[in-house]
Amino acid sequence: MSNNDTVYINQKSFKEKLVWLLDHFKREWQIYVMLAPMIIWFLVFLYKPMYGLQIAFKDYSIFRGIEASPWVGLEHFNDLFSNSQFLRAIKNTFLISFYSLIFGFPVPILLALMFNEIINAVFKRSAQTIVYLPHFISTVIIAGIVITAFSPSAGIVNTVLSWFGLDSVYFLTKAEWFRPIFIGSGIWQEAGFSSIIFLAAIAGVNPSLYESAVVDGASRWQMMWKITLPSILPTIIIMLIIRIGNLMEVGFELIILLYQPATYETADVINTYIYRQGLQSGQYDLAAAAGFFNAVVAFVLVMAANSISKRFSRTSLW
Amino acid sequence: MSGVLLQNIVKAYGAAQVVHGINLTVQEKEFVVLVGPSGCGKSTTLRMIAGLEEITEGQLSIYGKVVNRIAPKDRDVAMVFQNYALYPHLNVADNMAFGLRIRKMPKPEIKQQIKNVAEILELTDYLERRPADLSGGQRQRVAMGRAIVRHPKVFLFDEPLSNLDAKLRTQMRAEIRRLHNRLGVTSIYVTHDQVEAMTLADRIVVMNDGRIEQVGTPMELFMNPANIFVAGFLGSPPMNQMPGTVTEKGVEIDGIIIAVSGNLSAQVGRKVIVGIRPEHVSLQKEKGTTALPINLDLVEPLGSEALLHAQFGAHQLVFKTETQGSIDHLSDVSEVYVHASMVKLFDAETGEALPL
Repeated sequence: MSNNDTVYINQKSFKEKLVWLLDHFKREWQIYVMLAPMIIWFLVFLYKPMYGLQIAFKDYSIFRGIEASPWVGLEHFNDLFSNSQFLRAIKNTFLISFYSLIFGFPVPILLALMFNEIINAVFKRSAQTIVYLPHFISTVIIAGIVITAFSPSAGIVNTVLSWFGLDSVYFLTKAEWFRPIFIGSGIWQEAGFSSIIFLAAIAGVNPSLYESAVVDGASRWQMMWKITLPSILPTIIIMLIIRIGNLMEVGFELIILLYQPATYETADVINTYIYRQGLQSGQYDLAAAAGFFNAVVAFVLVMAANSISKRFSRTSLW
Repeated sequence: MSGVLLQNIVKAYGAAQVVHGINLTVQEKEFVVLVGPSGCGKSTTLRMIAGLEEITEGQLSIYGKVVNRIAPKDRDVAMVFQNYALYPHLNVADNMAFGLRIRKMPKPEIKQQIKNVAEILELTDYLERRPADLSGGQRQRVAMGRAIVRHPKVFLFDEPLSNLDAKLRTQMRAEIRRLHNRLGVTSIYVTHDQVEAMTLADRIVVMNDGRIEQVGTPMELFMNPANIFVAGFLGSPPMNQMPGTVTEKGVEIDGIIIAVSGNLSAQVGRKVIVGIRPEHVSLQKEKGTTALPINLDLVEPLGSEALLHAQFGAHQLVFKTETQGSIDHLSDVSEVYVHASMVKLFDAETGEALPL
């Protein structure tokens, strides 16, 4: 077969594919119309800004614009990695994320398992409503509640400490207290709402599995460990992959609202660093480089988590 | 000793009673099939025996022991569910071992039990597979294996074949019966499929609307249904039913008198439903038969047999006849013959069979 023949076949199959694709769009256009808002959202807010990523490799000036700004290669990355504040931000991001994952990820699963064991319907609904509520409170209000609760003068935490004859502590100015307070308030705000997805997974477990186990003589505890938990394991793994993918995305609004220079040592994360460098100091190119680094690490993390999960548990996002 | 004894068993959900005081004795090693339409209470009855539903009233005994207040695990029953209820995260061996591990049976013994049962059910090559990697029939066998390894006193089957295709169902039906013959364990089997009931059961219990309509061997129920419901439920196609009046010579339908066996003198003038099974007619006149003039409107060949759809007076009837390799000779049938002994009479008001 000559080269020309190969080209001819490829062209033909491409045309066939194109015809099929047009036919497909014609037939299923309603589905694509429904998809359109999401695709547009992705294009406008996630893909178009990628064009601006190049300023991470340029000496960017808002007056010259992206095109006219000169290339500087990896200079901003060199600056970042020789800057102790950025290295500290990387360390803090990882530590806060890691502790959140370790302490925060199991809580919604435990909550869902506990809700599932509550027999009284009224008590179950009330308990669920109470733990879901904090999710609907604005981050600013959450920060307000945290600041008030840990206030050295009237805060409930210090009031309780005073009952035991202990001195007041100004927790939010102590670097060593920032992470526990931030992670704890995050769990308080989101654990209930996050448990919904696990409750939905539990609701999907075939009831005859439990009936069969009852006839076999399994206790409620055994059913929870041997049926419920393994049955929702695929959901747990999917959620874990998503969570690992978001490991670099620490809820920085709450950090900005809670941290202060005294706690930067443990509280300053990559996103707050980017915010300060980019928006407050006007170093857009340096902030873009930091953001780019953040995105690359997140991408590697999610790919790695997915392939590990695929290999060991037969469950994966794609 | 009876295997399972149900005495005035009632099940109610709040004010709604769904099982109305049923009585049934299942003998040791007997295979009893509960059959009836959807919602007749057969599965609820089975679940009460298993202990998955509380008994509202009445007494349930298993091998002489009253078990109303005894937990399912202590009743010594094993249940096979309609959708198999296999644990998707466990392989075949672990699925079968589940109940034994819960009961803390020593590991070597569990292994031996699984090996034995896997051999009986031809599952030895699949022990490492997960349920998702098995066919419907194999999953059903695993579900049965899980019940068998426990060596229970009673097997409970809740429509175990209804998720299988027709061919596999026939095959598994035979396997279940062979297994019962081999193990000889008291079995109660729920189905809405009358063919399954007829082929599997030592005795059939026909249920309707939370009550037992009739209990008997498959042939007893087929030949002598206790009422119109049983007559209509068992048999495919169901028994032909026509209103008639008892006369001294037989039963009259639209001016035609059909001979009936037995003494009818005490019943003369009584309004009845006349029942004739589609299989119980012949195309040749024989001694003791009555001719029914019919207008044939459709012949459905089934292979060795054919269904004749015909008009008899104002009644649409169905008859079943052998084809003998061809249906050509059936197209000009204008009369069928029914033997007096094959005509069943039911009271028009109560639907109960008349003693003949």
